[in-house]
Amino acid sequence: MQIQYNTQRLSMRFFMLMLVLFVFQAGFGLLLAAQQADPMLLAGIINFNVVRAEHLNLGLLWILAGFIGAILFVGPLLSKRELASPWLIKFLFYALVVTIVWNVGTQYLAMEGTAGWWAGQPWLQEGLEYIEAGRAADLVILIGFSILAYVVLRTFPPVSEWNEIHWGLGIGVVALTVVWVFGLFYIPTIDMQEYFRWFVVHYWVEGVWEVIHISLVGMLLVLLFKVDVKSVGFAVFWGVLLVWLSGLIGNAHHYFWIGTPEFWQFWGSLFSALEPLPLIFCFWHVYLDAHQNRKPIENAPAFYFILGSVVLEQVGAGILGFTMTFALTNVWSHGTWITPAHGHLALFGTFGMLGIGAAYYAVPVMRKALDFDQRLGKLAFWLLFTGMLGIALAFALGGTVQIYAYRTLGLEWFGGDVFPIMGIYKMLVPVAGLLFTLGVGILVFDLVTLGKRVRSLAGAGETEPLVSHSPHGWAKPLTGYEASMWLTGMWLFGAIITLGLLSFNLHMVRVEGNPILPYVLAGIGYPGLLLITVLFVWRFLASLEARASAPMRLGEAALAPA
Amino acid sequence: MSCADGKNCNEAKKRRRGIIVLGLMIMIFIILSGFSFLGSRGRANPDAISFGAHQAADGKRVFQAYNCMGCHTMVGNGAYLAPDLTKEYTTAGPAWLAAFLPSAAGWPTEAAVRTQLTNSDVAADAGVDNIEDYYKKFPGARERVERRGGGTTLMPNLAFSSDEVGQLIAFMKYSAAMNTEGWPPEVKTGSLERRLALLNGGSHMLATATAASAPVAEGASATPADPVARGEELTKEYACTACHALDDKRMVGPGWGGLYGSRVKLADGSTVTADDTYLIDAVIAPDKQIVEGFPPGVMPKYDTLLKDDDVKAIVAYIKSLEKP
Repeated sequence: MQIQYNTQRLSMRFFMLMLVLFVFQAGFGLLLAAQQADPMLLAGIINFNVVRAEHLNLGLLWILAGFIGAILFVGPLLSKRELASPWLIKFLFYALVVTIVWNVGTQYLAMEGTAGWWAGQPWLQEGLEYIEAGRAADLVILIGFSILAYVVLRTFPPVSEWNEIHWGLGIGVVALTVVWVFGLFYIPTIDMQEYFRWFVVHYWVEGVWEVIHISLVGMLLVLLFKVDVKSVGFAVFWGVLLVWLSGLIGNAHHYFWIGTPEFWQFWGSLFSALEPLPLIFCFWHVYLDAHQNRKPIENAPAFYFILGSVVLEQVGAGILGFTMTFALTNVWSHGTWITPAHGHLALFGTFGMLGIGAAYYAVPVMRKALDFDQRLGKLAFWLLFTGMLGIALAFALGGTVQIYAYRTLGLEWFGGDVFPIMGIYKMLVPVAGLLFTLGVGILVFDLVTLGKRVRSLAGAGETEPLVSHSPHGWAKPLTGYEASMWLTGMWLFGAIITLGLLSFNLHMVRVEGNPILPYVLAGIGYPGLLLITVLFVWRFLASLEARASAPMRLGEAALAPA
Repeated sequence: MSCADGKNCNEAKKRRRGIIVLGLMIMIFIILSGFSFLGSRGRANPDAISFGAHQAADGKRVFQAYNCMGCHTMVGNGAYLAPDLTKEYTTAGPAWLAAFLPSAAGWPTEAAVRTQLTNSDVAADAGVDNIEDYYKKFPGARERVERRGGGTTLMPNLAFSSDEVGQLIAFMKYSAAMNTEGWPPEVKTGSLERRLALLNGGSHMLATATAASAPVAEGASATPADPVARGEELTKEYACTACHALDDKRMVGPGWGGLYGSRVKLADGSTVTADDTYLIDAVIAPDKQIVEGFPPGVMPKYDTLLKDDDVKAIVAYIKSLEKP
């Protein structure tokens, strides 16, 4: 694999920008975790709300930078020609950098209550979760999205020649721009403001990013495993359609308690319960595609992160999302730490890991370093993966006791009643966060210096176990039956978690105030789900590693240094 | 699961059907959305809700300008560091909020809440003018004053102007008026004592009881003979520092450091010396002489709340504060 089109190289700067933003986002995240544990930390110097705004905004921005990088890298391959108007892409990059710096700066103004009101709009910062950026930055971002959509559509072949991946990415980049527009107006009522805020947040994630995600996963699997575009196309079409069929009305799960009518509880509970379907579908296809042939994986880190993306999409978005999507469970989980447990796994897992996976695929190709030392990438994967699962576990368990103290007992003194009982979980967030941050450091070091480091002879290439006979035990090939058993196991724990949240409605808990049932169910459900997730990924990767036969590895390594 | 080559699985037809169903979903969603915002539903309207002269609609802009949602939640959305504010007005009421917001780093004492009730706007909004009735109407305020009053909070002081405080209260009055369809769920676990006992198995109840009684005991027990010490105590009890800095910084009102004996320029153009008479007047009848650059009607009148000796003690305390 080598670069076929020169403009593919434009993706490099976006991947590097992604890494820089990721470092800052993780840094702000660690600070937030420390402030959760000690709310007085840096109070008055940089308040929690400012740090959180930076953490959320940078999180969205680095995911977008990763998407743009991946789209630019595969765009020419999909179109069999160079990108249209590369100068626009360069302009987009600098505009993005300036906007990010500007936005990071203006968020600080919330400390003194400056929003920059002019013509009825907040121009400097908006103070709404996820869309904190002020109108000035919003408009530049709108122009940026328009540029991306224009370049992608101009680069693609005529519509009559489009396959499903073209359609997915084409619709994705246009919808990215269109959906953003709903966040560009100041709305004076809370219910309508929240209604449209979720247009941006939910439809971006569920309607647009998911579509880009499915298309990119499809394309990367084609590149990694050389699978049939047609079978991937089938998965992409039905994946996207299922996402929309469930997610369109599924948005109603955000409209339960914001002042909109009760009927949303019915529609939201019904349709968002279907939202995991496309994720199961996508998950299953990754299994099929990865096991289509017995060739060794050439680029293990890239596949690790793509697998991580699909699995965490299943666990974070699919299962944890499902547990809290019913009106009867959401009435308890809403507005507690249960929500960030889902949010962190779903957002970083699904979209963040995809961007990193794409970077691991593209960067070695662009640097002509296909024989790069894959050990650091694998280590970074395991640290990020387990670190994020640990963060989610801390949020989920902390959220469960928070529901009991705050909702069941109605004790609303956070400093005096709610925090003390959440204490141990508040400490667990920064601990898991440190593990994650270590992973960020190794990942960034590896990707930035990949192909530029002096390779030590002993450590070069893979240190695969030399499997001469057919592998057995933990590393034996994963059958479809076994994979479906793992998936069933995950959903079983998901069901336990759901029952745990439901049990807050029981007389025993709600009136008598006995939390034993929800505590036990959460205590089994969350750790069980996260443990089985780790084991499954370990098992999946072990079965793939095992098929790497030593002679092919050596032959490849001998060819590569060019 | 996929359609293999050569097999006829009517793929094109299935896909068309799928897209038609999607169109149906879009229609359902649009219809439901239309119903949600019909005028006849009687949604709470921020333009029709006010607190004194302050509009809820303005309060929403203040709420966003300080990114309150970055720590608190509103209708359950936002960060999860601090409590949900949707029903805060119903819980604690306007007088407690007016006492709390100017200096959010400290929990208001009963004296501070009572002071706010002397403000006719606050009393009119609360619908009661004495603290006993207020506690009956807003039981959350009593719980907070008794358990937390005089202690420090985990919220940083924000530089709200007096207008912004009023606007935020109006905004929370609006959010409390919204129909959130039964969220947050009603608490059914009984009395506060029972709920605290459930939380920490009884030991906690003792701890909070001591914590709550501590500041009260301190204030009520020995009245110090030294007027400066007494003034300092009263300053704490009445949360004067919610609006006045102990150095010469301007907060909601003028700073106290070095104020005594200085020349003060008034709004009517004249200049006076800040002596005992002036400062006593400033406490018991603040609108008589308004300092230049400060709006009238912000500082409550303490004539009925404080005894003459207490006012003198506070003035003595002010006198003891030097410019840094």
